[in-house]
Amino acid sequence: MSASSPYGKKNSYIATGPRSVMDIAIIAAAFIVLVPVLGINRTTDFIIFCIFVLGYNLLYGYMGRLSFGHMLYLGTGAYALTLFTEHVSKNPILAILAGICAGALIGIILGPIIVRTSGACFALINLAFDQVGYFLVIVAFSKYTGGEDGMSAYFGKLPLLDFGKKPVIFGFVLFCLLLTYYLLKKFTSSPYGVLIKSIKENETRVKFLGYNTFAYKWATFIISTSISAFAGALSILNYGYVTPSFIDPSRAVEVIFAALIGGAGSLYGSIIGGVVYMAISNYLASYIPRWEMFLGFALLISVFRFRSGIWGFIVERIEKRHNPSARQS
Amino acid sequence: MINTIAYGLTIGAILYIISIGLSLTFGTMRIVNFAHGFVYTAGAYLLVTSLPLVRDNFILGAVLAVAAVIPISYVIERFVIRKLYGVSIDYAIIATYAVVLIGIDLIKWIWGAAPIPLSDPVGIDVSLGGVTLPLYRLIIIMLSLIIFLSLSLFFKKTMVGKIVVASLEDKDAARSLGISVDKYFSYVFIIGSCLAALGGVLYAPITSVHPYMGMMVLLISFAVVLVGGLGNVKGTFVSAFVLGMIMAITGRFWGPAAETMVFVVMGIVLIFKPIDV
Repeated sequence: MSASSPYGKKNSYIATGPRSVMDIAIIAAAFIVLVPVLGINRTTDFIIFCIFVLGYNLLYGYMGRLSFGHMLYLGTGAYALTLFTEHVSKNPILAILAGICAGALIGIILGPIIVRTSGACFALINLAFDQVGYFLVIVAFSKYTGGEDGMSAYFGKLPLLDFGKKPVIFGFVLFCLLLTYYLLKKFTSSPYGVLIKSIKENETRVKFLGYNTFAYKWATFIISTSISAFAGALSILNYGYVTPSFIDPSRAVEVIFAALIGGAGSLYGSIIGGVVYMAISNYLASYIPRWEMFLGFALLISVFRFRSGIWGFIVERIEKRHNPSARQS
Repeated sequence: MINTIAYGLTIGAILYIISIGLSLTFGTMRIVNFAHGFVYTAGAYLLVTSLPLVRDNFILGAVLAVAAVIPISYVIERFVIRKLYGVSIDYAIIATYAVVLIGIDLIKWIWGAAPIPLSDPVGIDVSLGGVTLPLYRLIIIMLSLIIFLSLSLFFKKTMVGKIVVASLEDKDAARSLGISVDKYFSYVFIIGSCLAALGGVLYAPITSVHPYMGMMVLLISFAVVLVGGLGNVKGTFVSAFVLGMIMAITGRFWGPAAETMVFVVMGIVLIFKPIDV
């Protein structure tokens, strides 16, 4: 189905220097404009979710592997940061780094098992591991994780970054989003990015060209889990406490929905999808009592009608206007 | 010990009844059907509604509940599953999950979110080797054996069964012989859904009925299907009982770990035997 994807046909989509600087400026400006509309706390929340969607979309949109248990990696980051502040150091920067490292570690450990599968098996095995992780947090290690109640995280003060102040957290998180965006832009427009897209299209062929596809898939998986753990760690920085809902497998559909509705396989799409999903769950839920049903119908419509998502739809429109004779996809 | 074995066999029997439909849909249509879990839940809720109508006659209530699932599964098949043939499996997963979201919300709308307890429909205990067991559990185990035997016969002896087996093996070859494969897939889907609803009906008196009862059972059924082999009737039967026993034995020593153990076993099996779908 990825054949109908509008990306990759035109080289203009592989951005170079000035283009990505412009992208970053647009994203930063968009979120700063959102602050007076949504309030600083919620905007921070939106940005963190967008980082999670970016990490997820690298796996789903670029490499074509649908994971149904990505909450595990978000939760790993969240719990790693909290446990780090509790037992090792209260330095927030070090704690976030610990969260990212925990995400990378779980990717390194589980990767060889998970990335050998694809399709339905990949989705289900991630879900199974998520289920195991949820059990570990809620029952097996409840002495350390606080079980159902979760636990609070306390941070020390840094000379320049005082994370007790909301605007500082907002600025830091926005910087993190832009950094993630920039790095992913570099990654995905490099030969490495082209290769993982080729794995999505036809893995056997890439293997026959002599590439070690296993290593590339594993590396992508580790990057994705690290970014997800990064998002998890940042949310604890914002909330100040961790609960098992950060690792709850039944919430996995949120990030899938965001990635799908924004546009799988594009970084802009991830951010649009993240904002749209957060807007639906934060605001529409208070207007529509049956919002889960609404989410279900929206998912069905996006699967049957808008497979390229909102951003893909916009790109198609622009391309059609500039080049009416172009192939209709 | 006998109690644990009987408990494991009961779970295995219900898992088999649910998984066989999932396994056939998975094997024939290459669709990971999350909606199966919703159909299971719907079966249990329809039983709750139908029991007062038939003056608490469990068998009549069960028949009514399973019959009421047929139109529901037809709607799901007609408007969602049929459009997913040949589409990437990821979209099938997402679309059937969307059906679950809609379905669970409908259930909460109609019946409310609070759990509904049901009493044991037989209410007779039999003593077996010095241990007393509810007769109802033994009936469930017998019923799963009957379903297994009749499905095996169905696939071996009847024309429709043979066509389904042939399509399981090679869909394109079956299609090129002039068989309208998709029509038979619809039958398979509806039979599978009825069995899922039957599983929900049978399990409802053992646990309580609540809107999310289907999700965990569905995940365990996926484990059963993956361990047993896709579309493999015998493999599903064996793996359902093996995983049921594992759940019962784990549950005896450490209750909360029972379900997690199933996923650990599934992970181990997938390490040695990865399946590409």
